[in-house]
Amino acid sequence: MRDRYFPYALLVPAFVIVLATTIYPLAYSFITSFREWDLTRQRRPSDFVGFGNYQHAITEAAFQSSLWVTIIFVFTSVLLTLVLAILLSLLLRRQGPLHTFTRIILILPFAMSPALIGVSYRFMFNPEFGVIAVGLGSIFPTLKGIPWLANPNLAMAILVLTDVWHWTPYMTFMCLGGLASIPRETEEAAKIDGASSFRVMWEIVLPQMKGVILITAILKTIFALKMFDQVVTLTGGGPGISTETLAYFVFKVGFKWFDMGYASALAWVLTLIMIFISFWYVRILLNENRAIIK
Amino acid sequence: MKKKLIWAAEHALLVVVSFMIIFPIFWMFLTSLKRPIDAYSITFNFQPTFENFITVFRDPWNLGSMVLNSALVAGITVMIAVPCSSLAAYSFSRFRVKGRKILFFLVLSTQFIPAVVIVLPFFLMFRSLGLLDTRIALIIVNLAIVTPFVIWMIKGFIDALPVDSEEAAMIDGASRLRVIRDIVLPMATPGILTSSIFCFILTWNEFLFSLILTRRNAVTLPVGLVNFRTERGDLWELMSAAGVLITVPIFLMAILIQKHFTRGMTAGAIK
Repeated sequence: MRDRYFPYALLVPAFVIVLATTIYPLAYSFITSFREWDLTRQRRPSDFVGFGNYQHAITEAAFQSSLWVTIIFVFTSVLLTLVLAILLSLLLRRQGPLHTFTRIILILPFAMSPALIGVSYRFMFNPEFGVIAVGLGSIFPTLKGIPWLANPNLAMAILVLTDVWHWTPYMTFMCLGGLASIPRETEEAAKIDGASSFRVMWEIVLPQMKGVILITAILKTIFALKMFDQVVTLTGGGPGISTETLAYFVFKVGFKWFDMGYASALAWVLTLIMIFISFWYVRILLNENRAIIK
Repeated sequence: MKKKLIWAAEHALLVVVSFMIIFPIFWMFLTSLKRPIDAYSITFNFQPTFENFITVFRDPWNLGSMVLNSALVAGITVMIAVPCSSLAAYSFSRFRVKGRKILFFLVLSTQFIPAVVIVLPFFLMFRSLGLLDTRIALIIVNLAIVTPFVIWMIKGFIDALPVDSEEAAMIDGASRLRVIRDIVLPMATPGILTSSIFCFILTWNEFLFSLILTRRNAVTLPVGLVNFRTERGDLWELMSAAGVLITVPIFLMAILIQKHFTRGMTAGAIK
């Protein structure tokens, strides 16, 4: 009898934490998203305003801009990270002292605090005494004195760069894990038959990596949508609002304007996007697992 | 000849990659050893000094209290999250509980909720409870991010352990709890340790919660970085010194778990 409830008992502490720290706050902000609650004027939330906050979001230019910024950021950073991670994992698959060394240091960017990464790149791209800005300026005279972070497109490019620098290592590890599970026989056979290494990669190795690549892409998309720290420490959302992502816009509305109702509605828009993508991810993951466990 | 060329190209690429990984980190370490005047010029030729590491601990920067906050918040978060998650992970791994799929789905999905979404309601709750700017508040919100992650990771490690010795002990009449304590725990220790370090790194680097929920008393290191942005401009040499202090303990830990790293992070996703 006791044994029957034992498996459930083990789950209780963790689920108390998960329910209290994620499900409850989500429910709380869901309710708040239908109210008007400006902390600068009201101590308590006012009556329900229906979909007012959501309508506000749809019609506001700043929201549309943040959505657009997010799409551009996610797309470029996922694409770049993925391509680099695949190439790097193919490179690192071989054995050798330099390969081992690179694999070891590969963990460093991932372990580094994203806020600190933002600060470091801000320093290195300072037009007067930033080592990258000045370095590039002395190699390519046309780039001399460019105020990198004051230009909307360049600021976005550097924001993407910090994210790619941070995540490529981890995604490379994932691809390496996927590569390790691919049987080598077909590859060897094709090589013996005289196929070029490029063709072997393109026609034999890459197709077999499809599963890993898909999971990596979805996971990276989720992480890119969550990216926040570097916006604060690198660009501050600027110049203007050109690097304000959706996550940063929620932060701004909530903690600079203190409009809690509106911020909650925006947060839920972001959450719905995430739920949609993670649903997809988890389903793929569970299917893969079933195949492995049997 | 062609083989040699490929070999050279491969190694040249690896050198470039390694350089791109190391350079930003190297530059931060270098800058932390410079006097202010050298920090504002791109030079390798300077008199190194440890002055910055002393300055950051003095008034008005007081990095000491932030180091303490960061260590306490990360440490206590790990001490709560890891035991609770280990039990849940064991249950998920060994029993076919009713509704298991839904529960597991719930755990997996919650880790994808953006931090800014979690922190908004917590800010309102902590405000009415008077818990703003306390370490307790930070620990509670960090648990939200870390717990699902750790359950998922440790489950991966336990899945990989053989069940035989557990079953044998059960047949000999050992209780479930004893089996967990005497058989599972010793075998799962490396995995649990790896997950703990991973969890520590996540919490230690956490920025958004601390930015929103703290003002003076409970500020953690990553948010402390922002303080070096003053009216006199950004104090890069001090920022770099603080950066080094944030980074060094984490790098040591990361290299420690490097081997288990992929397996843990992707636990079960890819084998």
